[in-house]
Amino acid sequence: MSQIVCLSRGSLSRGKELAELLARKLDYAVLSREDLIEAAIREGIHVGKLETSMMNPRTFTERLARERDHYLAFSTAYLCDRIREGPLVYHGRTGHLLLRNISHVMRVRVVADDEYRLNATMRNLGIDRESALQYLVAIEEDRKSWVRSMYGVSWEDASQYDVVVNVERMSVENAASALVGMAQLPDFRMTPASLRTMEDLHLAARARVRLARDPRTARTGFTVVAHGGEITVTYLPHDMEVADDIRRVLDGLEAAREIHATMAATTILWVQETFDASSDAFSEVVEIAGKWNAAVELVRFAPAEASGVPEVVGTLTRPSPSTAVAGIEDDLDEEDADDGGLKATLDELARVGKSGGGRWVYGERASLVASCCGMVPHALVVLGTIYSDRDPAARVRLTRELRDSLASRMRVPIVTTDELRTHYFFGRRDLFRLTGYLAVVVIVYLLVLTHQEAVLAFLHGAGSDGSTLARLWVALAVFVFVPIVAFAYGSVARSLMKLIRME
Amino acid sequence: MDPLLMYDHFIPLDLWVAVQVVVLGVVGGILSGFIGSGGAFFMTPGMMNLGVPGVVAVASNITHKFGKAMVGSRKHNELGNVDKRMGVYLIATSFIGIRIAVWINSMLFEGGGGDGHGAGGSAAADLYISAVFVCILSVVAVSMLRDALRRRDADDEGGPSMRLANALARMHLPPYVTFKVSEVRVSLWVLMLVGLATGYLAGTIGVGGFIGVPCMIYLFGMPTAVAAGTELYLAMFMGGWGALNYAFQGFVDIRLTLLLYLGSLLGIYIGVYGTKVVKEILIRIVTAVVILLCVISRAVAMPAYLRQLGWIDIDPRWDGLCNGASKAMLFAAGLAGCSLILYHVIRSYRQRLKVRHRLAEARAAT
Repeated sequence: MSQIVCLSRGSLSRGKELAELLARKLDYAVLSREDLIEAAIREGIHVGKLETSMMNPRTFTERLARERDHYLAFSTAYLCDRIREGPLVYHGRTGHLLLRNISHVMRVRVVADDEYRLNATMRNLGIDRESALQYLVAIEEDRKSWVRSMYGVSWEDASQYDVVVNVERMSVENAASALVGMAQLPDFRMTPASLRTMEDLHLAARARVRLARDPRTARTGFTVVAHGGEITVTYLPHDMEVADDIRRVLDGLEAAREIHATMAATTILWVQETFDASSDAFSEVVEIAGKWNAAVELVRFAPAEASGVPEVVGTLTRPSPSTAVAGIEDDLDEEDADDGGLKATLDELARVGKSGGGRWVYGERASLVASCCGMVPHALVVLGTIYSDRDPAARVRLTRELRDSLASRMRVPIVTTDELRTHYFFGRRDLFRLTGYLAVVVIVYLLVLTHQEAVLAFLHGAGSDGSTLARLWVALAVFVFVPIVAFAYGSVARSLMKLIRME
Repeated sequence: MDPLLMYDHFIPLDLWVAVQVVVLGVVGGILSGFIGSGGAFFMTPGMMNLGVPGVVAVASNITHKFGKAMVGSRKHNELGNVDKRMGVYLIATSFIGIRIAVWINSMLFEGGGGDGHGAGGSAAADLYISAVFVCILSVVAVSMLRDALRRRDADDEGGPSMRLANALARMHLPPYVTFKVSEVRVSLWVLMLVGLATGYLAGTIGVGGFIGVPCMIYLFGMPTAVAAGTELYLAMFMGGWGALNYAFQGFVDIRLTLLLYLGSLLGIYIGVYGTKVVKEILIRIVTAVVILLCVISRAVAMPAYLRQLGWIDIDPRWDGLCNGASKAMLFAAGLAGCSLILYHVIRSYRQRLKVRHRLAEARAAT
């Protein structure tokens, strides 16, 4: 695997010109989005239909979701295959999003002057200024929709890129020279860790493509993750008949050491420093996973400051937020190293059919946050004991900060293992709440249903003079009364469902 | 007006009727959680089948929707799935739509119509509500069914026709408003039109989400989760405004609202659980068939209103037959749909218990 530069270009922004010049200067191969699309079409993916569907967002069907997954996996695998052959400059829209969290991918956004693009559009399409403006606005909107629908991020978000090049005030030649210098910085050099992340990504993508190609599994949706040769495939409960086929289809896949198949509707992410399959937290997480038909994905997070090997951290070439797995692991013998109970806990999860895969992250908080915000959707994040070598007050503060960072990036509930019981299991507090609200509800219902005549007279305004003021009082009373009853009875219903473990 | 009605509007409520309203709530709640809509498409005609005048059924249901949306939208808001700016723009015109709907329903109800047989003495209002219900929901149900069946047969992602939506989306209709949460840019005129239509339908038949959510997804290009969250946020305000307006006119029957809650707030959990264990294609087919049967059931009840208005000449005894057939069809459709969902929910629940037992055994062994 070698270095890759991903140029994200808008329409007529001279991105292609810049990419080709940069590739020549660096002596890298060049690959365009058009080449990639052509390969995807040869693969049998209906890219045109997919684009139309994504740009005109509609209710996402299972078939479209499968087509999108196939496309994403194929594109990722194709890019990784090309990088294996040698260093590469890719120019398109979102190559950097296909290869997320890989430190040796240099992410460049190319933008151009609106006036230049307008003139180029008028010249290329032979249309007037107004039509050209409308065309450019429409095409930009479509592309933004595409990126949003495919990757769940904003295309224009500058934080997605390492550098934004505006060719309005810089010639393409100079821009290419500047990027050549930048590409040679140590920050963008491949490290053993970034190589391993890319290999995991490649393996998962190849597995997903193979599942999409095989007629036995082609009509099923899967989530595939890989770590160190272990592949975890998650499928939905209503597709349980394909469970045995998954292993058969993936049997013999190059670099695959082990294959896990887990039935789940969603995934719970559990982040902790060390795992113990006999702990109460494990039982609670599995219990919730059972309730939600979820798989449990484990992330062993050792904060860089707490890892006890700061000198090794210091050798990291690029401690950037996008570094999902920093370099420490490569200095450890994976088989012999203490994995903090990760493997044993994963085995236990696999035994109860809840394994969603596992990995470790050594590094800073930002590394963990970046690695958690991938394409796998989570329903819940559970934070266990982290920063265990800190004093309790600092641990609470750092955990809270981590929670806030994750919450700002992931739109899912985030709880600590201590909060699991109170949030998701019926406890004494729930009993008090249920009893209290139930009493209120019973009293209200009894009062209304045993005094129907009086209630209806009030609602009809029969007891009053029928004036506007009297009617306003009725309206106001209904407006205030109904949400209170809904809240009280809603709390009773929620507690009851919690009691029978069905919330 | 029907002499059996209390204060001209309200039905007498004995235990049997109360139980039926609770069942309507349970079925409406399960379908609501399963489909992701408000469930009014089942509860409003169901109440009309029980003899509740259409306008009171709509008023009580929109009041029920108000409280339910208030509880539900909080969760969506916590997860960032609510585009409040979009909500504000839509609320403004939806209020006008609701006001128009309340005004028409009230005028038709006060104008009376009918001889007081069968479904009360509000034949004109009942006929109008039923007609709007049948027209709108038959289009929705047929599109959904065709879409689901086509996809199953041909495995084609074509979906419902997007010609109108695409044409509207491509039209240049300034001024445009940008919404940062949804990351979309929408013409103010389209926004106003959608708000007006959603409000009018919510106020007339209690079903606004069937228009609002598809518009937000297809016309505005909003992400599905944000469209659903924003619709619930909007439903809270529309429900509140509808409740205020109908209560001001004296049409809200709080007894019915409370009894609906009794079933719906429990049923919704079962419905939501059902979405996790039932295949998407089956969800679509069940949804479409249940809505279609609700539409047919309402159409079956309409000859009685036409007779009461003197527009057709049939034996008055047919009123009871029409209403009875309509009611039987509605309950059969709802209960059959719910049975299917419950079957899958219970099956999955039992599987879960097995996993728990396995886990407990493993822990005991260690």
